[in-house]
Amino acid sequence: MGAHPMLSRRGAFRLTAGALLAGWTLPTIAGAAEAVATWTPRALNADQARTLSAAADAMLPVTDTPGALAAGVPQFVDRTLADWSRPDDAARIKAALDAIDAAAQAASGKAFAALEPAERTALLARLDAEARRAKGPDGFRQLKDLVSTGYFTSQIGATQALRYDPVPGAYHGCVPVKEIGRAWATS
Amino acid sequence: MANLNNRARDEHTYDAIVVGSGISGGWAAKELTERGLKTLVLDRGRMVRHVEDYTTAGMDPWDAKYPRAQLPPAELDARYKVQQRTGYALTEFSQHFFVRDDQEPYTETKRFDWIRGYHVGGRSLMWARQSYRHSDLDFEANAKQGVGVDWPIRYADIAPWYDHVERFAGISGQAEGLPQLPDGVFQPPMEMNCAEKAFKKSVEAVFPERRITIGRAAHLTKPTEEQIALGRGPCQYRNLCIRGCPFGAYFSSNSATLVAAERTGNFTIRPNSIVTSLIYDEKAGKASGVHVLDSETGEDMEFYAPIIFLCASALNTAWIMLNSASKRFPNGLGNGSDQLGRNVMDHHLGVGAGALVPGFEDMYYSGRRPNGIYVPRFRNLGDAGTARKDYMRGFGYQGGAGRVGWDRAGYGMDPPPGAAGKTAMSQPGPWLFRLGGFGEILPYADNRVTLNHEVKDQHGLPTLTFDVSIRENENAMRKDMISAAAEMLEAAGFKNITEYNGDYGPGLGIHEMGTARMGRDPKTSVLNAHNQVWECKNVFVTDGAAMTSASCVNPSLTYMALTARAAAFAVEAGKKGDL
Repeated sequence: MGAHPMLSRRGAFRLTAGALLAGWTLPTIAGAAEAVATWTPRALNADQARTLSAAADAMLPVTDTPGALAAGVPQFVDRTLADWSRPDDAARIKAALDAIDAAAQAASGKAFAALEPAERTALLARLDAEARRAKGPDGFRQLKDLVSTGYFTSQIGATQALRYDPVPGAYHGCVPVKEIGRAWATS
Repeated sequence: MANLNNRARDEHTYDAIVVGSGISGGWAAKELTERGLKTLVLDRGRMVRHVEDYTTAGMDPWDAKYPRAQLPPAELDARYKVQQRTGYALTEFSQHFFVRDDQEPYTETKRFDWIRGYHVGGRSLMWARQSYRHSDLDFEANAKQGVGVDWPIRYADIAPWYDHVERFAGISGQAEGLPQLPDGVFQPPMEMNCAEKAFKKSVEAVFPERRITIGRAAHLTKPTEEQIALGRGPCQYRNLCIRGCPFGAYFSSNSATLVAAERTGNFTIRPNSIVTSLIYDEKAGKASGVHVLDSETGEDMEFYAPIIFLCASALNTAWIMLNSASKRFPNGLGNGSDQLGRNVMDHHLGVGAGALVPGFEDMYYSGRRPNGIYVPRFRNLGDAGTARKDYMRGFGYQGGAGRVGWDRAGYGMDPPPGAAGKTAMSQPGPWLFRLGGFGEILPYADNRVTLNHEVKDQHGLPTLTFDVSIRENENAMRKDMISAAAEMLEAAGFKNITEYNGDYGPGLGIHEMGTARMGRDPKTSVLNAHNQVWECKNVFVTDGAAMTSASCVNPSLTYMALTARAAAFAVEAGKKGDL
């Protein structure tokens, strides 16, 4: 095969991956953490929307690639709850947002959105560990899944956090990961 | 007036009528028009033009309105009660190729998953493109085991027609020299990935009777002059086939056979034309044409031809014949044997095993291969070593390896929230290997569909009632399909082997067959060795209805070959005045 367009594209991947590694440990950008809702939620109340923005930002923060807020994940989650979810699932996810806020209040007397970034991540990690032990559908896990889905299927997530190639043109079965750099956005 | 009527009749008269434009109908259209017959193709659904009507083919993941392009559960329940049972096929990007169950109802005495696409091209647009030949192991099985009736043909009868259809359609694959899975005319095979190559090496070393090969799939990997001339190009490895391929790289009626038919100048296609019954001419002792309901205008029409090909898919072809009762055929056209609508078969699936593949952490792949690996049948091959006491016939596996991507929650592999987790999800995850069995279902006379005049569809037409189930033989085979998959994954040194014993409703294989079977005797079969209705010789049935047994391989290639063979026969017989 040895298709030349593929080779040059792989070369580009290698360069990009190298450049990106340098920025891997960038701290969360403080501006994003403010997470003030600049959009009008349809399924969520204002408190839930604020919690959602802060939680999505903490789950998938800015790293070497943009985070959940830049990708419009909170809007995606709200839209999904309004237009897509079964009522019982939507209720469970809203309750999970309320529970995140309640856990923050219980631990520190502050709203989740008012916590420092490190505190948010620690609290979500605790809730995540608890949710993994849940039997049956769990609102936190459903929320986390929606946040990931919204991010990695967005243009930012698919083309920056992941590698997206709309028309690969060829299939190569055994390619070193380092030549590709990131996980493929689609299978 | 008489002149006017004659002219109207002339305008509705062709040399041949083909009912349906899917895999079989497309082939009938091509072969009949290329042999000089003015051919009318009738399809019950809307027009789908190649490329221009693949409206979602260029969409990116972020163009989806909904998560993962999945339709809202409420919409699925209201409109796609059955179609959603595939669990993968029906998405926002493919929904326009699936029927709405609320508009096209049927009755399930027992669960039957009837997955349909009513449009020009039919399921040739959404098929999985796996293309395998039957062998004499399949053609001889019924006779040797006293099951159903004997096929009236053997491999030698159909082999040249497999060559013929493969050459035109374009099948990529690897020749293996296996008697149970004859080789064909192949374009270059697609590549296996690292984990699949390792699996092949280990399994073939431990189990000499098992072969691991790349799927034989109807994708162009090295198009011929003929294919290029039709406007078809090589596979671009997007794996978005179900939306229609703008490159014409996989075989569909729309990209291939209908294009070839149109170029003859002998081809007319009429969409939105539901054939409701055949017109039987008692005096002539044959069919003179078809009744059509125009689904847009509601008009009842008639079209006439001396040769009629029924290619409406196994169950709808049976429906048309059952709905064509006449004085001569009180129980449906050509149904003197009472076999019409009986012997419904499919391939049973949903069982197999999966595992984690250790190693290869630094290896990946590029391109999205629209194909997997195939494990040809290795049970009951006729020798003592492969014989099973607990069931007849056999199964094949389809599957393959891939690395988990960002979407890991379903495997419980999602990392904790935060920056490290985000980075982890941006890298390829563990290698997973899956094997899923496709098993042969025997023909049972009481696995049948019948006409239901109580439940009407949106046009007021009678519908079908299904009474189909798998039995002891299939259930015994399913157990083996699970354990044989697990033992191969084990032999390959894979970890966390998980057997799966999924839900299967007959029909879910989307390989409906058998409702107007071929045979050697008009008393026990509907069709003869040339797919000709025994009792109405100018009517041919060449879709899944014709199948006398199911084999365990995907059936479309056999429909293509049977159709081309029957079309050649019909044209010759017509010339000789034998119809």
